[in-house]
Amino acid sequence: MHLLRSLRQLNGLQGVRQAIRQVSSAPTKPAALQYERDPQPLFTDAETQRLLQSMTQLNLDKVYRKRTVPDNSSETKFMSNEQLDNEFQDLVVRAQHMLQMPPIVQIKKDVERVIAKDAALKDFANSKFVFTDITFGRRQSERKVIVRDTDGTLAYATLDTTKRMNQLYFPLEGRQSYTPRMFALEELLAKCLAEHKYEFILDRLLVQYEPHEPEFHNISARVFEHLNESKQFDLLRSTRHFGPMAFFYAWHRCIDDLLYDMIRRDYLHNAVELIALSYKLHNIPVEYQATLTELGKLHPTPAESALTELRSVFRRHDDKHNIEQEIHTAIGKKEPDFAADEISLKFIEQYIASEHALKKVQLELAVQTLKEVNREKLMLFQGLKKAHGVQAS
Amino acid sequence: MSQTLIRRLVNQAYSRNIFIYNQSLLSSNEPILPSYIGLRNTSFFNKLPAEDIWRGVTAVSNAGKKRGRGKGSGKKVAKDLNKGQSIGFGKCGRIWPGLNSPIIRGNELISQQKLNENLDRENGILKLRDSMGSFKLMKLNPIDRGWSGSKMPGRSIGPPDPVGDEEFVSFDTRVLENKIVFIMKGNMGRKRRYSVLSVTGNGNGLAGFATAKAPEVRTALRKSKNRAGQKLINISLCENRTIFHDFRTDFGKTKIFCFQKPDGYGLVCHRAIQTICKVIGIKDLYAKIEGSTNIQNIAKAFFIGLMTQRSYQHIANETNSNIVQQQNTRNRFIDVKGMPCLNSTPTHNTQEIDYMHFTLGNQIVLQRKATVPFYVYSKGHDLHQFKKERFRNQANVRLHKLVTVYD
Repeated sequence: MHLLRSLRQLNGLQGVRQAIRQVSSAPTKPAALQYERDPQPLFTDAETQRLLQSMTQLNLDKVYRKRTVPDNSSETKFMSNEQLDNEFQDLVVRAQHMLQMPPIVQIKKDVERVIAKDAALKDFANSKFVFTDITFGRRQSERKVIVRDTDGTLAYATLDTTKRMNQLYFPLEGRQSYTPRMFALEELLAKCLAEHKYEFILDRLLVQYEPHEPEFHNISARVFEHLNESKQFDLLRSTRHFGPMAFFYAWHRCIDDLLYDMIRRDYLHNAVELIALSYKLHNIPVEYQATLTELGKLHPTPAESALTELRSVFRRHDDKHNIEQEIHTAIGKKEPDFAADEISLKFIEQYIASEHALKKVQLELAVQTLKEVNREKLMLFQGLKKAHGVQAS
Repeated sequence: MSQTLIRRLVNQAYSRNIFIYNQSLLSSNEPILPSYIGLRNTSFFNKLPAEDIWRGVTAVSNAGKKRGRGKGSGKKVAKDLNKGQSIGFGKCGRIWPGLNSPIIRGNELISQQKLNENLDRENGILKLRDSMGSFKLMKLNPIDRGWSGSKMPGRSIGPPDPVGDEEFVSFDTRVLENKIVFIMKGNMGRKRRYSVLSVTGNGNGLAGFATAKAPEVRTALRKSKNRAGQKLINISLCENRTIFHDFRTDFGKTKIFCFQKPDGYGLVCHRAIQTICKVIGIKDLYAKIEGSTNIQNIAKAFFIGLMTQRSYQHIANETNSNIVQQQNTRNRFIDVKGMPCLNSTPTHNTQEIDYMHFTLGNQIVLQRKATVPFYVYSKGHDLHQFKKERFRNQANVRLHKLVTVYD
């Protein structure tokens, strides 16, 4: 048994060694699409963040979906209405925290910073000495790692060494010292992509690499490019990776597929936000603020809509608004939604007509279809309201 | 080898004796007195038929049976010694014209003659007899096995027999108890019967159980199975896999605490409850039995408990508060299970109710104290504890010191 285990370990090590050997052909090779200047100021900008969060949406069922945990027990409680409402608010706050986007920052370059060159210490040993500050409670980024070279040079360690030492003394759960095979071997990553396991790859990427590392940029770019081809954007909706993905497309002027998906799924306000984001990133002189504020008034933020959905349990079934509610749920839209749709459609058509849109025919077709569906829905909505004698509010 | 040697010696002696006897007979003029050798050719061996003789070896007397003797009876089986033998073929191979060979072959008249001794035949017969006599263990598929060996409890005995045209489709019956019971009768004396408790169900919330007695095991099994099929109870399952809430139930001296468990937990309970749960279709449950573990009482108590379950809505109405479930697998998402119907301003109870205490009827499982090892009461252990007292908490203090250094 023991022998078997050690054999297996050996095999595993061989795999790792092979993987390391194959790094040159691995997915970490520079991606075609790179951030040529620092995207961080534009990404962390409050408006951009708001747009991205709105595009991400907040589907509580997806955020709080069933996961494998060590302790799968459950707890049943009595709660008063106030307690329940507090819990609902807490739930939304926690969901927002879970949807916090990983930052998009520039790739950090290694800079040689020599502290001292003591020629007298040359050949004092035949290996380097690494000194790590392991003070308790210090952040990883501010932890000093210094290397004394065999030729007597005392210098700050490279980023790679710093990360290694950090991982050695303060291991991050899930981060491996070696490159995971998934990221080292091209065929394994390709397999993951082919199976559309985008969220899994991106989650693992976040654990393994820092956002300023080139591997992080290359692999995430690779995933986003694959997503753009497979058009499975819905897989990332309500996850923390949707924002960076939309930002990536907007930065590299390839939003049309995502836009088409949003129009097809009737997320028109998201489509407007995406167009606005691309205008903002590329400094295109189109006034989008007015449309956004107008839409903002008509549309609740994802957090608000999630909270109202949770609070709908308080609604009594024998209420007066019952019929009205039922009509809304059957059609899926309210009056403000129809109004918002008109504004967004105007903005989107303006974009399609401009020279920035690349897949004009496809987008126009989608918009036309949506318009027809919307018109029918509106007629049905009004007819139902009239039939039930509900006052137009 | 040695046997044949002895036989030969005896034969020699015998023939010599006869020789001597003949000599004396010839030489003397005394009147001939026949000397009788005591031969007793009658014994139970040739008086009784084979059947009776075998019964003497393999069975127990009637009186003994009544006293419960002969548990192993039935394991020994009578051997049919005629098996593998035929007339004309024996230990020494011989040709008997007219018996095992034709009298005339061609123009030749066949005479009686000896053939080589056939050892294979002898061995073959012995082997056959050996295999006949030994009791063969009933071969049971591991899936069909019950709680223990080839015993009945825990084993499946199929669905109840159809009543008219009504068939018990997808039903399965399992035996919970199979025992011998006695009653005294005025004219018959001590009379024994088999009592069988079995539970039947379709694995989807429909189940029933019944006890039946009969002088034969097979009849008792059939009777109890069919009776259980007549006493079906509908039990609604929570999410088609577990119970609606924790509950406590009892019957006689048996008390059962049952706990609702998350998906994938399995059945962690007494084997009788396990079997009942499997038949009903409950997949996740923890149950603790306090008091007696009498199978019949367990079955009754468990069924009573299942039937007295209340729905979430019912409990919510009763307590006038919302019922909320938080699962760790869903990162403690709030799952509202029940809300009180009349949503008037809830009468604030001064005392907050705990859900588990409410559903268990304010009873809790007895936590037994762990049994202390024997040396705890010894003088040496006292001494050891005296010595250790100075160092207690030392590790924690050291750790705390380390932590405070960084503050």
